[in-house]
Order: sequence, then C-alpha cells, then structure tokens
Amino acid sequence: MGATVISSANAGSNMGKELTIIVPVKAAVPNITAVRLDPVTHNLVREGVPLMLNPYDRNALEFALRLKDKYGGRVITLSMAPPSGKDFLESTIGMGADEAYLITDRVFAGADTLATSYTVAMTIKKLFPGFNLVVMGEETTDSTTAHMPAQVASWLSLPYLYYVVDGEVNMEKGTIKLTRYLEDEGVYEEFEYNMPVIVSVYKDSNPPRDISLNRKIQAKLSGLVKSVTNNELKLDPLCVGLRGSPTIVAKIEDAKPIPRKKQIFKGDPREAAKWLIENLIKEGVIKP
Amino acid sequence: MSSVKICPEWPQVNKSEYKGVWVYVEHRNGVIKDGSLQLIGKARELASKINVDVSAIMIGHNLGDLVKEPIYYGADRVIYIDDEALSVYIPHIYASAIVNLVNKYKPEVVLFAATKRGRELAPYVANTLRAGITADCTDLDIDVKTRDLDQVRPTYGGNILAHIRTPNRRPQLASVRPNVFPTPPRDTSRKGEIIKESLNNLPKPNGVLLGVKSVTRGDSDLPPVEKADLVVTAGRGVSGPEGVKLLIELAKALGGTIGGTKKVTDAGWLPTDRQIGQTGKTIRPTVYIGVGVSGAIQHIFGIKESKIIVAINSDPNAPIFEYADYGIISDYRQAVQALLEVLRSMRKPS
Ligand SMILES: Cc1cc2nc3c(=O)[nH]c(=O)nc-3n(C[C@H](O)[C@H](O)[C@H](O)COP(=O)(O)OP(=O)(O)OC[C@H]3O[C@@H](n4cnc5c(N)ncnc54)[C@H](O)[C@@H]3O)c2cc1C
Ligand SMILES: Nc1ncnc2c1ncn2[C@@H]1O[C@H](COP(=O)(O)O)[C@@H](O)[C@H]1O
Repeated sequence: MGATVISSANAGSNMGKELTIIVPVKAAVPNITAVRLDPVTHNLVREGVPLMLNPYDRNALEFALRLKDKYGGRVITLSMAPPSGKDFLESTIGMGADEAYLITDRVFAGADTLATSYTVAMTIKKLFPGFNLVVMGEETTDSTTAHMPAQVASWLSLPYLYYVVDGEVNMEKGTIKLTRYLEDEGVYEEFEYNMPVIVSVYKDSNPPRDISLNRKIQAKLSGLVKSVTNNELKLDPLCVGLRGSPTIVAKIEDAKPIPRKKQIFKGDPREAAKWLIENLIKEGVIKP
Repeated sequence: MSSVKICPEWPQVNKSEYKGVWVYVEHRNGVIKDGSLQLIGKARELASKINVDVSAIMIGHNLGDLVKEPIYYGADRVIYIDDEALSVYIPHIYASAIVNLVNKYKPEVVLFAATKRGRELAPYVANTLRAGITADCTDLDIDVKTRDLDQVRPTYGGNILAHIRTPNRRPQLASVRPNVFPTPPRDTSRKGEIIKESLNNLPKPNGVLLGVKSVTRGDSDLPPVEKADLVVTAGRGVSGPEGVKLLIELAKALGGTIGGTKKVTDAGWLPTDRQIGQTGKTIRPTVYIGVGVSGAIQHIFGIKESKIIVAINSDPNAPIFEYADYGIISDYRQAVQALLEVLRSMRKPS
C-alpha cells in the first residue's frame, strides 16, 4: 500500500513553479435512455456510442481555466475512456486546456468507481507528480455517483473538498482558499488548504465558456490529445477494469411507475377543495 | 476464497469477522439529519433479518446528550468520538476517523444518508477501506444466506433500477437518498449501549475552515424544492407573477414550498433553481401539487417518484391527470382560493 501513497511531506513541492491543474473528465452518453446494456455485466455499452463531455465537467474545466487566467500555469485534462474518446478530449482543448490525455486499454474496461479512480489516480501520480490541484465535476449525468473525486483523493492520500464554487491561489505559500456551496443547507463555507488538494466543482457554478472550433481543429491536426495505455502505466491487471471492481451489478429491472389513483373531481371549486383536503388528511400527509 | 487472486492494494478480508449494521449519524448545530434517523429505521429492519445489532456512529465536538438520540430512534448502540480536533468538519479527517472505527469493530454494513456532506464522506471511507460502495440508493435489502447487501439505485436516467452487490468485500457501504424511508418514532424509554472512542492515527488536516455564511435566498423564505415534503408547482397556466404569488400563499398555508415548470422559470416568474424536471431538479416529496401544469414528459421525469401527485388544470384532457392521484378540473384561481379558504376555516381556533 505504501508505494501508492504520496506522502504529505511532498505537499507544496511544486511551490514557486507554475500552477499545474489536472482536470479528469468523463465521456458521458448523451441520450441515456436510448443505450444498450451488456447482457452479462449489465454495464453500459459505450463502444460505438457517440460520446460527449459530461456537462458538469465543463463547469469544472471552467473553474480550472479561470484559475489559469488569473495565476498562469497549465491545465491538463485526462479521461479514462474507449478510443473514441479522443474527440471529446479535443473539445476540452477547444475550451482552453493546454494538453489532454486519453487513458485507454482493454484491460481497463468494465471498471466500477474504485477501479476507475485507481486508474485515474495512478495516471496522475505517474505523469504529473508535481501537480497542485485536481479539479473534477460534481458528478456525471450518466452514472451520478459523485464517487470519483473522494476516491482519487483517497488513493493519493490527499485532502479534498466537494461543491467548490470559487478559489484563490497563493503560490508562495502553496495554499488555496476554497469557497463551497452546500445546497441542502443553504450555506457557503470557506476553507484554506495546503496544495495539492482535490476538488469537485458545484454543478450550478462557473458557467462554461464556449468551445472554440478553431482550437479544437488545431488540437486534432497537431495531435494534442495523447493516448496512454497500460504499456506505459504498468498497473496490475488485478487492480483495474472488471477484476479490480468490488461491486457487481447483480440484476437490473425496469423501474415500475408508481400506480396512481387517478381520482378526478369536476364541479364546484369549494366542494373540490374540501374533497381534496379530506383526502390528503385521510392519506395522513396533512394534519387536520 | 483465499485462492482467489485479488489486487495487492486490497487487504484480504475474512467475511465472517464482519458483523453488524452501522449508520453514520450526521448532525449539524445540535440537530440530527432526518436522513440519518430514517436510516436507523431501515438498519433495524436489515439487522433483524440476519440477527445482528444496529450501531450508530457519531463524530464531532461537544456532542452532549445528542449521542443518546440514535438509541431513541432504534439503535442498539452508539459509538462516538468527541474531540476538539473534530469541531470543524474537514472531509478527509472525518472520513479517516470513521475508517479507524470500522477497522476496529468490523461491521458488515455501513450506511450514510446521501446528503451533500454524506455523499462527500462515504466514497473516501469506502475507498480507504478498499471496499465497494453504491451511491444514492433508493432501497436496501439483505440476503439472509450470503449476508450480501442488495443495494438498489435508479440508473441510466431513472428508467432502470440496478441491484448492486459486493459479494467478496466487507464492509458493504451505501449512501441512501433522504426521505425514501420513514423516520421511526422517537421513544425515550429505549435503552442502549453508549461507547466513547478516542481519536488516533489521523492524517494531517492540511486545511482550516475560515468561515461559514448562510444564504438569504432572494426569491422567498421558502425552502428549496428538493428539501420540502410538499411542493406546489406553478405551470404556464397560472399566467404570470401574480398567479405565482397566489401559489406561494397556498404553499405556505400547507407548510410546503414553491417550484415551477421550465416555462415558468424561463419566463422569470421564479428563479431557475426552482425549476423541476429533466433539466431542472428531481424531487420526491410526499405531496406534489401541479397547478396549471400540462404534464410534459420532461416535467414528469422530475416528479414521478412523488408519493402523492395532485393536479389542478382547467383542461380535462391535460396529460398530467394521467399521472395524478387526485385531480381537480377547474380554473386555478377559483380552486386555489377555495383551498385557502378551507384551510383557513380548518385552522381557525374554535
Ligand atoms: C430538452 C428539453 C428539456 C426540458 N426540460 C424541462 C424541465 O426540466 N422541466 C419542465 O417543466 N419542462 C421542461 N421542458 C419543457 C416541457 O417540454 C414543457 O414545455 C413544459 O414543461 C410545459 O410547461 P407548463 O406545463 O408550465 O406549460 P404548458 O404546457 O403551456 O401548460 C399550461 C397548462 O396550464 C393549463 N391552464 C391554462 N390556463 C389555466 C387556468 N386558468 N387554470 C388552470 N389551468 C390552466 C393548460 O390547460 C395547460 O395544461 C423541456 C423541454 C425540452 C425540449
Ligand atoms: N472515466 C473517467 N475518467 C476521468 N475522470 C472521470 C471519469 N469518470 C468520472 N470522472 C471524474 O469524476 C467526476 C465525478 O464522476 P462520478 O463519480 O462518476 O459521478 C466527473 O465529473 C469527472 O470529473
């Protein structure tokens, strides 16, 4: 276990150098209701499906780009995805990222969030050991787990914070002030963390800038998206993909719509109002 | 079992060493979150199926009598840590404290309410234990033979329910959406064991809390749509801000909140964070009341899990009546005025 942990003694090792922000992004399936499931693993079949950038990852990338606009440095996106993922990574460069990496290998297929986060965390550790920030989306629209940011933080033994809306970097001290919004409590909290730190960005913040088609085409022509396979990463096949995944989808079923009573009242509004209130009281959902 | 090759990053687990169902009990400002209390109720049900105890885990500073509450709601035992270092919630510190307790006591199931903080905490705990986790479950069951937790969650846009299991690892972790299970009754005569644990082996905090600010919401003093038990929803049929105002009055009289269709938020009659539907919020209140809402599929997507759906619409052919438990065919003004009157006369002190 020790080998995979970046000790916190490394914290701030990049101080004084340029700000390096890693933005892991996911290929989301655009029309989630029209996809095929693998009959054995019950996983989403992503091969041959047009992929797009998970919408909330654009807010995450925007957050990273705003920091870059203010403090300089570079923004690198990466994604574990099938080979067709190159295209949506070119979109991240179109938005303003400097480089992009596609992590792709058959051995990574069928991963749950533990195995995906392992692969992503180990790639970051290997390729960008001196990073300051990892910025992720709040969740993905096709799996909606919000697991990855905390799991990547756990693999790297680093602090982390969700629902971030704003950040202020102090490169000299190697710290970042982070404001986050807890929607269900209606509060903003402000923290100060030593970098490196992992954050996920609140999905209703940092409205993303447009994708420049020119930059996107440039990215394609100059091959700015690089592929990384397990030949380079050398991760233990037991720790990635389906074999590295503790959870299994045991069964799937159609969500049954809740049967409705469909009792309709037509007539005098006062009678209608009484009828409705009486029924709601009978249901025990409002107090007499 | 031991012949199965596993990732060397993972500790070997002997499943039979893991016993009991745990609920992480979240609290803030001296109040326990409803989602946590509801989970104690569900945990009781799971635990009695396999004959084990329910333990509630509490973490914080100056907890006082709050540690007794989980017992009143059905826990057999409370295990808590009260330490100044925990006076501020720092996610990886809280998570590490929970990991240490799990390593000491070895429960087979650990449940979190899927609040914003719960969703932040649970995956770090699971990952550090190299265990599996399922997010945002809407139901749970336990297989009495294998003791595998059946973790049910809607997936792929909500049309499919996935049953997820973690057959080879322990503990089994899940976060569970608030309000899918009822809150058990509070019974102060219940007795249980209360164990104080101490804090050790924590990572460096590497972070501090500088401040907290509550938001005053511009639109009204009503709670957000995803938090309320009763949501009155304005559709285009209420024809303007005045109509929305009348519905806010109704929402208040019923102790609920106000939401809107996309047409209503696009028109600026309500702020966008009150939009309900596929591209807005998904809600599952006890009561949804749609007023002047036609029932477009994109809207229905966000309300279909509501316990009771009420529709008020002047058009008897409005699609929303197909999804409604109770419908009133009427002009919205007359119906809502009448409802307000009935409620007023009901609540007048006699
Ligand atoms: C990609 C996409 C995403 C979308 N996402 C969402 C979403 O997240 N949420 C959402 O809500 N919509 C969404 N929509 C829009 C959706 O398709 C509908 O247009 C919208 O929900 C209709 O809103 P409405 O019911 O308020 O208005 P209408 O469809 O115009 O219905 C008004 C209703 O009011 C009734 N009415 C009129 N006058 C009265 C009166 N005096 N008294 C009582 N009733 C009256 C009418 O009979 C009618 O049924 C989306 C659409 C698309 C294409
Ligand atoms: N396959 C992946 N590759 C890179 N980053 C990912 C991947 N999946 C998820 N993420 C990141 O993790 C965030 C949360 O995703 P999730 O935990 O799947 O809801 C996303 O918004 C992305 O930033």
